[in-house]
Amino acid sequence: MSVTETTPLARGETLKLEQREMTKGFLGLSLKNGLLNIITLTLYRFWGKTEVRRRVWRATYLNDEPFEYTGRGGELFKGFLFALLIVGLPFLLVVFAAQMMGPMLGALIILPLYIFMFFLVGFGMFTAFRYMASRTTWRGIRFRLEGSAVDYGLRFIACAVISGLTLGWFWPTARRKLAKRIWMNLRFGGDLPFRFDEAACRKEKVYGAFTLAWVGSFVAYVLIAGVAVVMGLATKDAAPSEEASLGMIAIIYLLMLILMPFLLLLYAPYQAAILRSVAAGIVLGDARFKLNVRWLELFWLTLTNILLIVVTLGFLTPYVEARTARFLVDRISSEGQADLVSVRQAERGPRTGEGLADAFGLAPI
Amino acid sequence: MAAARFYDGLTSQPWPIDVVLAGDVLVFEAEGVTRRWPLGGLTIDAAGGVVRLSRSGDDERLLIDGAVWRAFAGAQGRAAEKRSRFGEWKLVAGLAVAGVLLTLLVFVGVPAVSGPLARMTPPAFERRIGENFEAQLSVGLKPCGGREGQAALAAFGRRLGRAAQTPFDIRVRAVEAPITNAFALPGGAVMVTDDLIGLTQTPDELAAVIAHETAHVEKRHVMQAVWRSLGLGLVLDAVVGGGSGAGQQAVLLAGSFTDLRFSRQAEAQADSRGMELLQAQGLSSKGMAPFFERLAAKGEGAEARAVKELISSHPDTIARARVSRLHARPGASAFSPREWAAIKAACATPRSTGGSLRWIPAS
Repeated sequence: MSVTETTPLARGETLKLEQREMTKGFLGLSLKNGLLNIITLTLYRFWGKTEVRRRVWRATYLNDEPFEYTGRGGELFKGFLFALLIVGLPFLLVVFAAQMMGPMLGALIILPLYIFMFFLVGFGMFTAFRYMASRTTWRGIRFRLEGSAVDYGLRFIACAVISGLTLGWFWPTARRKLAKRIWMNLRFGGDLPFRFDEAACRKEKVYGAFTLAWVGSFVAYVLIAGVAVVMGLATKDAAPSEEASLGMIAIIYLLMLILMPFLLLLYAPYQAAILRSVAAGIVLGDARFKLNVRWLELFWLTLTNILLIVVTLGFLTPYVEARTARFLVDRISSEGQADLVSVRQAERGPRTGEGLADAFGLAPI
Repeated sequence: MAAARFYDGLTSQPWPIDVVLAGDVLVFEAEGVTRRWPLGGLTIDAAGGVVRLSRSGDDERLLIDGAVWRAFAGAQGRAAEKRSRFGEWKLVAGLAVAGVLLTLLVFVGVPAVSGPLARMTPPAFERRIGENFEAQLSVGLKPCGGREGQAALAAFGRRLGRAAQTPFDIRVRAVEAPITNAFALPGGAVMVTDDLIGLTQTPDELAAVIAHETAHVEKRHVMQAVWRSLGLGLVLDAVVGGGSGAGQQAVLLAGSFTDLRFSRQAEAQADSRGMELLQAQGLSSKGMAPFFERLAAKGEGAEARAVKELISSHPDTIARARVSRLHARPGASAFSPREWAAIKAACATPRSTGGSLRWIPAS
């Protein structure tokens, strides 16, 4: 190590990410996964997801070397069973028990439960990242996510609460802070940590785009509510019948449907800005990243993704995931160098995947 | 011989090497050590451009250009690829069996267990569930305003409750709801919607409907449906994932929605027991058949959608009418003309039973 420590740049490489031979096999894979999911009452989904990742990973090349996903469907399945036993079942029983009690007592029980669920969302996201990092290898070396999932879960709750109190205005900051917790804890192998440069992250502005989205969607909701009230008043005098209320509901849904792409459009500049901002904060060695996502193309990607999934009842999800990965990888560029040659192996990661496996200190040894 | 790249899994250092195929063993030298990898135990990750070879559970990797690999390993390489694919078919078969078992659990296991479980449930426990259900329902289902009509219904319920072998008080109430239905809650509450009262033409018919629901309470069918919903919630969670909350929703739905579904067998049992209860009181049990027939007839008519709700949870309506007619006995009327008039007028805004199309909440 002393050699590389004294001459860090001598063995450095500029990072070049690209995707090759992608998306063509994914229509077939989508069909296969969909059919097998039906036959097995969706139990196949863990293996289907694994196969999608395997293919996306190995089609992604860093400096001419493909990534490898070494996770297995069985690991996800076991993690799921574990989470079911430890979280799902007690939750269900508590909800059921709350049914037996009075509404007041029931609410007293269920409310903390739903707050706890927020924690579990953050906790689960972190453990999922940890699992995925541990199952991603490049040049035979694993990635590894350090840090505490409990800590991340608590931060997630705090972020959600503050965002709620500020009517959403804290959320862009929260997303940067949460992204930082992930990237600053990620390392390639045993000794090449990622860093997160908050100053660089903040340099990519997000609040202008967020203001546009917030104000725009606020105006849109007010307009919709106004239309609904006006129509309600108009029909109320005519006939307070059930046909009218049915019509009202249909019209509100129709308006929402028209509103959906409009809201996507409003939020696209913000979503693109957040992606650029987080990518700008990531540092590996001396290498920095730039995600050149423009809002209109992101809008188009999101809209078409939603349509593909809705129209095919979810069948094309693998295809959608593949084209989203392609979209992002195609837009990543990097400057500066990192020493990727003398990285030592990382310890092995968690044994099961993503199922809140480390819940309540029950992490497998 | 073929050119390849080797990673030892200890560092990210690439080692350019030459590989030789000796029989079905890959032989190569890296870092001064000769390594022998039998083809049979290899994981072969072939993705067009590059083929990546590894041994299971091991961090070492061998990368060979795809075209070079195919020419080099030929038939043996393809055979090894096929072997690794065979494992997947075994997996799918196993999962399909698991799927079938889950289906059996849902359609056979859970219903089979729910009956005995319901009969073992302490009445106090069921009463408490019922109270909570009622509290939730009272938000959407307002009791009708007519005091005299409600009193007549309540008195009739108490009378049936005394005749039935049940620890629960049968509390009958007329409620306003946009559905044509009558339903029993855990613990003995029986709700009759204004639309259903509108659809009945004689006191006998309404008495038959109430007796039918009372029988559901007596036979603990209601509690059985509650247990079944919990069981289904569990299975649903197991299948689609607890995180989605689908199982919890199923449990919540069972509590918030009026229409706890019963099996065909339970309906037939409630029919015959309901008629017994009426006959034991010396009351006419001739109302059941005409009411079912009217329901069936309506089902084809203009009110198809409103009645579909009732028929779908009460299948074989015509067959049931036939059985009911066979066992019907004449007897006294459950309600005096004055009571009947009060019941008919109990709901402040009687909804038309004519041809209006109405919106029915999805069950």
